[in-house]
Amino acid sequence: MSESYYGEYGGQFVSESLMNTLHELEEAFHEAVKDPEFMKEYHYYLKEYVGRETPLYLASRISDKYGCKIYLKREDLNHTGAHKINNVIGQILLAKRMGKTKVIAETGAGQHGVATATGAALFNMECTVYMGTEDIERQHLNVMRMEMLGAKVVGVQSGSNTLKDATNEAIRTWAKTAEDTFYIIGSAVGPHPYPMMVKEFQRIISVEAKRQFLEKENRLPDAVIACVGGGSNSIGMFAEFIQDKEVELIGVEAAGMGISSGKHAAAIAAGKAGILHGMRSYLLQDEDGNVKLAHSISAGLDYPGVGPEHAYLNDTKRVKYVSVTDAEAMEALSELCRTEGIIPAIESAHALAYAFKKAKSMRKTQSMVICLSGRGDKDAATIEAYFNGEEYLN
Amino acid sequence: MNRIEKRLALLEEAGHKAFITYMTAGLPDIERCAELIRVQEEAGTDILELGIPFSDPVADGPVIQDASFRSIQKGTNLKKVFDMVEKLRTEGCEIPLVFMMYYNTVSFYGLAAFAAKCAAVGIDGLIIPDLPYEEQGNLKKVLDKTSEAPILIQLVAPVSKQRIPMILKNARGFVYCVSSMGVTGQDATFHKDILQYLQKVRSVSTIPVMMGFGIRTAQDIMPMKDVIDGCIVGSHFIQLMEQNQYNTEVIKEYITTFKNEMNGVK
Repeated sequence: MSESYYGEYGGQFVSESLMNTLHELEEAFHEAVKDPEFMKEYHYYLKEYVGRETPLYLASRISDKYGCKIYLKREDLNHTGAHKINNVIGQILLAKRMGKTKVIAETGAGQHGVATATGAALFNMECTVYMGTEDIERQHLNVMRMEMLGAKVVGVQSGSNTLKDATNEAIRTWAKTAEDTFYIIGSAVGPHPYPMMVKEFQRIISVEAKRQFLEKENRLPDAVIACVGGGSNSIGMFAEFIQDKEVELIGVEAAGMGISSGKHAAAIAAGKAGILHGMRSYLLQDEDGNVKLAHSISAGLDYPGVGPEHAYLNDTKRVKYVSVTDAEAMEALSELCRTEGIIPAIESAHALAYAFKKAKSMRKTQSMVICLSGRGDKDAATIEAYFNGEEYLN
Repeated sequence: MNRIEKRLALLEEAGHKAFITYMTAGLPDIERCAELIRVQEEAGTDILELGIPFSDPVADGPVIQDASFRSIQKGTNLKKVFDMVEKLRTEGCEIPLVFMMYYNTVSFYGLAAFAAKCAAVGIDGLIIPDLPYEEQGNLKKVLDKTSEAPILIQLVAPVSKQRIPMILKNARGFVYCVSSMGVTGQDATFHKDILQYLQKVRSVSTIPVMMGFGIRTAQDIMPMKDVIDGCIVGSHFIQLMEQNQYNTEVIKEYITTFKNEMNGVK
């Protein structure tokens, strides 16, 4: 079972009803990724349907301003507007290969839900998406998109009414229906083999970015930066650079209203090891060991845990994890809009905010790659409310 | 001897089936919860499962989720439940008690400290639905080192199939057969292959076989009565107590009727 662990993190903390399902999934996944036909089909859809590869764009005005080379990996340009679709294509092809006819998913910001609904439409599968009622309110556009794509969106009203609770409900449904239903997890979380699968299907981000960077600069970047909620875009962005020790890897968590306020989603900065959603990892918990509500202006980062490999990469110090507040993220978002003409997702703006801070201390010849994990269209209402000084949701 | 094993041995001798209830600890409040345990002991509940409320009860359906949420709101935590049990035991309460809880609560308390505390206050068994066989190593090691440690009850599911012999090897107390896929409390909608599944468990198990999830009355288990040694009533029992404002007479009546019907006593 050691394969299911990253150091002391990971594992399979699920009910007995799901153990055979997980073992079948592990086996099917390993077979699939070794099967050239499967990988060919995966890459076919990434190219022809998702629109990969995505550009590695040298943001020149921002670079000039901060005095170092800042590259953006444009995952926002993917079909459906974020990196989430990479993983969905992989998992849904696997579901098809395993003979499943229904898929379910959890979603926070709605990007993974939209991506799953999209994949389900494409491959003619029945799709149900679980989403917290608070997220349904702040990500209304994505709810409409999922419904247009033929998915059923189930509002989850329990706990914080956000991603954590949507995931609980998806796990419950999965335990009931695993015989014909495939659970497409969108983040690098959950019981083994999910964190490993999500990494493999998001690895494409760094496979491309590394090649593109080498072509442009004929060397490796000094730093690679990505935001971390559950950690899917970041694990994909880091994957191919982990072995390159000279590349500094930085994961940016959501500090919400500030770590000291207690209203944040920084599981690595302020959590301790715990068990949730089938995995052992860093987790925000109260004094009784109950899971604490996370807070972030970004629905996609509003999660009290983090993927187990990130917990491991933190402990082994290969990746540095930092955090930025709602306010810092929104300022960076605004700056990218006005200087580069790109409206980033609030999630991605967390990575930008830290990158801009870091850039100030870098030399002109140094460079960094930031994963621009998604576009900000879905966040228009939140962004407007925030800049109008209104109380934004959550 | 462990209270669970002792009680089950007596039942076997008498040719009776075990009646096990589940209640969320701390409801309607911690004092009355203790009283309800005494009432049940008197009424003849054989084993009592106490649910330790957790913020994210993924193995539970709506009834126990809601009970768990309300109990947390009332301030119930593991420490208070330990205190309650300790007091009950000092007062002479001898009903076998099993904690049904999520692994994070155990892990947060600390495995060794938790095992020692259970042994000290008199907890007889543990049911941890998110701790499957493969993940039990660390806890088992600690339990093995603790004298009078609670028994880690093993759960099997309708899809466990080839895993059953592995799970039941060295299992003690009783085996908890989940009657349906998924979560607690699904109104007697048992798995389609329920009988074959229970027979398979029965043929492998050297300890009593109990069935739980979705059971409301003794009639619900009649088709399976020859292959099980008892059953667990959870969600329905919680609803019954709630709907009758925790009226102790109603609770006693329910327990007596269920036991009599299950054991064929007119």
